[in-house]
Amino acid sequence: MVTSVFAHSLKEALEYRRNPKWIPYCGGTDLMVEGDEGAAYLFVNQVPEMRKILVEDNRLRLGAAVTFTEILNAAEVPQILKEAMGDIAAPAIRNAGSIGGNIGNGSAKADSALVFMVADADLRLASADGERILPIKDFYLGRKHLALKPDELIVEVIMPYKGLENYYYQKVGARDALAISRLSFAGIMELEGDKIKNFATAFGAVADVILRPKEIDAIMIGKTLEEAKALKEEYLKAIDAFIVPIRGRVSVEYRKDVAMNLLKDFLEVKGL
Amino acid sequence: MSNSVKFRLNGAEMTYTENPAMRLLDALREGYLLTGTKCGCKEGECGACSVIVNGQLYNSCLVAMGSLEGAEVMTIEGFSKTERFAVLEKAYQEVSAVQCGFCIPGMVLASECLLASNPHPTEEEIRVGISGNLCRCTGYNSIVAAVGIAAQKGEGLW
Repeated sequence: MVTSVFAHSLKEALEYRRNPKWIPYCGGTDLMVEGDEGAAYLFVNQVPEMRKILVEDNRLRLGAAVTFTEILNAAEVPQILKEAMGDIAAPAIRNAGSIGGNIGNGSAKADSALVFMVADADLRLASADGERILPIKDFYLGRKHLALKPDELIVEVIMPYKGLENYYYQKVGARDALAISRLSFAGIMELEGDKIKNFATAFGAVADVILRPKEIDAIMIGKTLEEAKALKEEYLKAIDAFIVPIRGRVSVEYRKDVAMNLLKDFLEVKGL
Repeated sequence: MSNSVKFRLNGAEMTYTENPAMRLLDALREGYLLTGTKCGCKEGECGACSVIVNGQLYNSCLVAMGSLEGAEVMTIEGFSKTERFAVLEKAYQEVSAVQCGFCIPGMVLASECLLASNPHPTEEEIRVGISGNLCRCTGYNSIVAAVGIAAQKGEGLW
């Protein structure tokens, strides 16, 4: 009786993936909490193509099986991602947990996914029949509902390598080590001369999916700081209307207040 | 995977042929009878089941056996035969950092992994290093002190 399979290469992993019964297993830190001994795992934790960190064409490519610790130790990784990774749990979890699992688990609390969202990263998804690149924003369709086909694997995250330096990141949790986000926020404001070249925000653990108000953020892009300041009230109002929190362990009111407070702090810290 | 996983356990070659979905924690305690690894929470919150996999600290409750192909696993039983362990043991004793003892195998392995990557940690770095390991007796201060003492007394070992 073969109850699980181990993939030595991406090709082999994708062949196995034709059969939807295999559950992709990377670091195990989420899956093993359930600890289902009847589970049929597809072990992809040692697939070489999913373990790389490299810069290519000014984009950073992170293999889905790369662990949080490996990201923390990689010189190529932008500080905003390192900061979020450093805030994840404790060393033993960071040594095992992978970004592919963090994304594929589909949680709006996923700390790495928040950064990938604010950075407008792409996902490289592959099946035995081919592959495609999907913006991560389009990957999350709803709570635990992903745009991942049954025969696909997340192979890589591809994100900008530059332009993320002027960032803001905050995670609000109950206990430092191991805290699951009650709410998280990431913001980026990239300046070119006196103009805002890129302006991006993302809110984690507020709704069923990580919120990325791209259209609203766009009103700040191309503006000078003075012009952006004048738009601040209008901007905050639009975001306030955009964020519709879900009730969880914490109340809707709490989520909304914290989300807006973090956003306002981001704007202030960045001079708006 | 023909249901067999080859890995090293405390230096010895092993071929595991049982269920690949089994937790490393359960295989250690029930299969290999290495009961120094403790079971606290089975969800990666407490660190009592900490082991070292390929030189890094892992919660053995969150590792499926099938993922260990080619891996090097060290438990407290294996580590207790090392010179570094002797230094840590003495340091823990010196400041009475052990009370009930349940968290200690995990604490000692977390201390080892910390010192292996950072031989001269600050107090804050020690606290981060053991942040995934819960102790309900000591209040942590004596454990933090013990790791600091081990770093000093074991100069050159790490």
